[in-house]
Amino acid sequence: MTPTVTPASTDVSPDTPAFNRSRQAREAEVMLDHLVDDFSENPVAMQYFYDLFRKVYIQGEQVQRTTGPQVGMTCIQAPEELIYAVGATPIRLCNGSYHYDQIGADFMPAKSCSLVKATLGRLHDQEKGVPRIGKLDMIVNPSTCDQKKKAGVMMEDMGYPVHDLEFPNVKESEASRVYWQRSVRDFAVRLQQLTGKKITRKKLNAAMARTRRAQIAFRALHNLRRKAPSLVLGKDIFLVTNAYFFDDLERWTVATEALVEELKQRDADGFNAAQKKAPRILFTGSPPIFPNLKLPLLIEEAGGVVVADETCSANRMLYDMPVVDEWMVNHMIDSLADHYLKPCTCPIFTRNDDRRRRLIDLARDFNADGVVYQAFSGCQVYEMEQRSVAKTLNDVGIPMLYIETDYSPDDMGQLTTRIEAFLESIKARKRQARAKGVSA
Amino acid sequence: MNYFVGIDIGSTAIKVALVNQDSQLVGVHVTDSGSLFHKNAKAALQTLLDKHSLQREQVKYLIATGYGRKLFKEADDSISEITANAIGAHETGKAHGGVRTIINIGGQDSKAIQIDDQGTVTNFAMNDKCAAGTGRFLDVAAANLDIDLEQLGEYHFNGTGAPLTINSTCTVFAESEIIGLLANGHGKEEIVAGIHYSIAKRTLRLVKRVGIEDRIYFDGGPALNKGLVAALQDELQRELVVPEHPQTTTAFGAAILARGEWLADQSADGDGRERLDSRRGLSAEKGAQVVVVAAPKKLTADCD
Repeated sequence: MTPTVTPASTDVSPDTPAFNRSRQAREAEVMLDHLVDDFSENPVAMQYFYDLFRKVYIQGEQVQRTTGPQVGMTCIQAPEELIYAVGATPIRLCNGSYHYDQIGADFMPAKSCSLVKATLGRLHDQEKGVPRIGKLDMIVNPSTCDQKKKAGVMMEDMGYPVHDLEFPNVKESEASRVYWQRSVRDFAVRLQQLTGKKITRKKLNAAMARTRRAQIAFRALHNLRRKAPSLVLGKDIFLVTNAYFFDDLERWTVATEALVEELKQRDADGFNAAQKKAPRILFTGSPPIFPNLKLPLLIEEAGGVVVADETCSANRMLYDMPVVDEWMVNHMIDSLADHYLKPCTCPIFTRNDDRRRRLIDLARDFNADGVVYQAFSGCQVYEMEQRSVAKTLNDVGIPMLYIETDYSPDDMGQLTTRIEAFLESIKARKRQARAKGVSA
Repeated sequence: MNYFVGIDIGSTAIKVALVNQDSQLVGVHVTDSGSLFHKNAKAALQTLLDKHSLQREQVKYLIATGYGRKLFKEADDSISEITANAIGAHETGKAHGGVRTIINIGGQDSKAIQIDDQGTVTNFAMNDKCAAGTGRFLDVAAANLDIDLEQLGEYHFNGTGAPLTINSTCTVFAESEIIGLLANGHGKEEIVAGIHYSIAKRTLRLVKRVGIEDRIYFDGGPALNKGLVAALQDELQRELVVPEHPQTTTAFGAAILARGEWLADQSADGDGRERLDSRRGLSAEKGAQVVVVAAPKKLTADCD
């Protein structure tokens, strides 16, 4: 073997800010470097997102967004169209940093969900917390899971104005539908009070057109992932959808559209983003949020490719679009409410057959070989649905790997072993199936 | 003659297995991992080769597995220890009518693996972050009781009273429990049996997650402990297949796979079927002899 010469690192600029050495920034930097440097031929259009995360999470720059009141969301169940319609800007507060998870443990039991703890930990330091978003004029806290409900009260204790958006825990009944519609109308009223602007048909229509354009871009991206061979890796898609949490809506949409165009070109060129026989993985469960993208990263480093997901940090957030029957303001708000209730497959619902159906549909449409199910330790509802989901999938011949984890990086060695074994078993299964096909 | 090596670099021990072209196990070597994984792994390989007067060049393919697999750059390939364990147990288990469930207790983790009749992994479970009830637990417990690890099995059967209850499998909490029991004048024998039952109960929960199907194969270093084997059989209410060298099943599996990979490379233009079979460690002709290694005479525990 000829010795390879590694040039001394030259990319450290002398004016790297001192901020860079903070624990949170180091964590983000390690993850981003893995996501970018461990893979070759990243899409050119991904550079926008890599730069965005570098600026916001590592250099700690203020997020550049249109001015106006800012409404923080602790969950995707708050209708962001209403927030845009009153001239305010939504920002999703769900945080993925282990550093903030540890700070959050001062407020919640250590065994509770990493995501909720990290979100609280981030809000604990409003001024210097990353992403830096400036003043929050209001936080809307949908009463979805128990931990988020209680976290909302703690946010109020920290001095944030919090609006509890009452959310039903059953979605099939008419009673809960009406209850939720009223809850969303109350939220609209509260938003109008916040900015002093009335929600009119025109304004809501314009707001819905803006989010619709973003959703169309996401859908195009999502559907391109059906292609085999794969045009793009899942770790990049999670970065794109994570950026939606805090990025300017139009800038995000333009960058996503550019990525879609590049992937279409890749398709025309017969490009393959993964190995030819890379097992195709459908990702479900607790949402990967930067910098905690360890599971998608490990899957793709081990030679798999995440082709689709059923999580509230990506697909569930952007896929379904509101359908309006009557373009009157009240009807529009009701349609929005329906859109936020009916397609939701969050495990907080009493019955959640939709989630199992959706997983089977996704596995079929995206030709997935297996499912990886992530549950954050302490998220009881995801932990509990694990068995029924596994059974449903196994019944139709789809293997599932269940992984209970949190934001701490110390189980990465063990997770690697489990993921590799899962991918190896998928490959062996496929070899067997092929051999059977040959001998038949 | 061509030889193939599987090297299992675990958290506690390094295991090397050498097979020949007919899939026969030629020899094994086990040594402590120590802190210099890489150096010790190389030395272990050399020791095994020396023992059989072989040159490194005669080893045509080497597959690394275990926690240190990525660090061993001399390997031609690496594979997860779950797959390697499945292949090794499948091969070894043929002499016992085939195994479908594997229980592996290692130095720092425990696994339950379900395989099909081809030896393909269909399901598996591993202990999560916590290393409770693994080999390290036995280590610490033996130290607390001031007896050798190898004596645990003996103590298990020498008790006159019923096994004591050790409620915790957490190494730290169990340690204080053991000290408390000793202070109360309980016999070491009953404590040892209690420790074994506490590990067995925890292992049972793990195996239940993947499903229990006969026959059950038990390997990993702690399978050398007859007392633990007996406790596990009691809890499972089934007989276990314990190989003669339980520590090296995974390394053997990696060696079998190494042979398969090499054969596949040799007949790269062969058809898919041939490749598949060679990968699985079977020779292309049907009914070819499959030599089972280290097969115990009985189905019950038969360790030395």
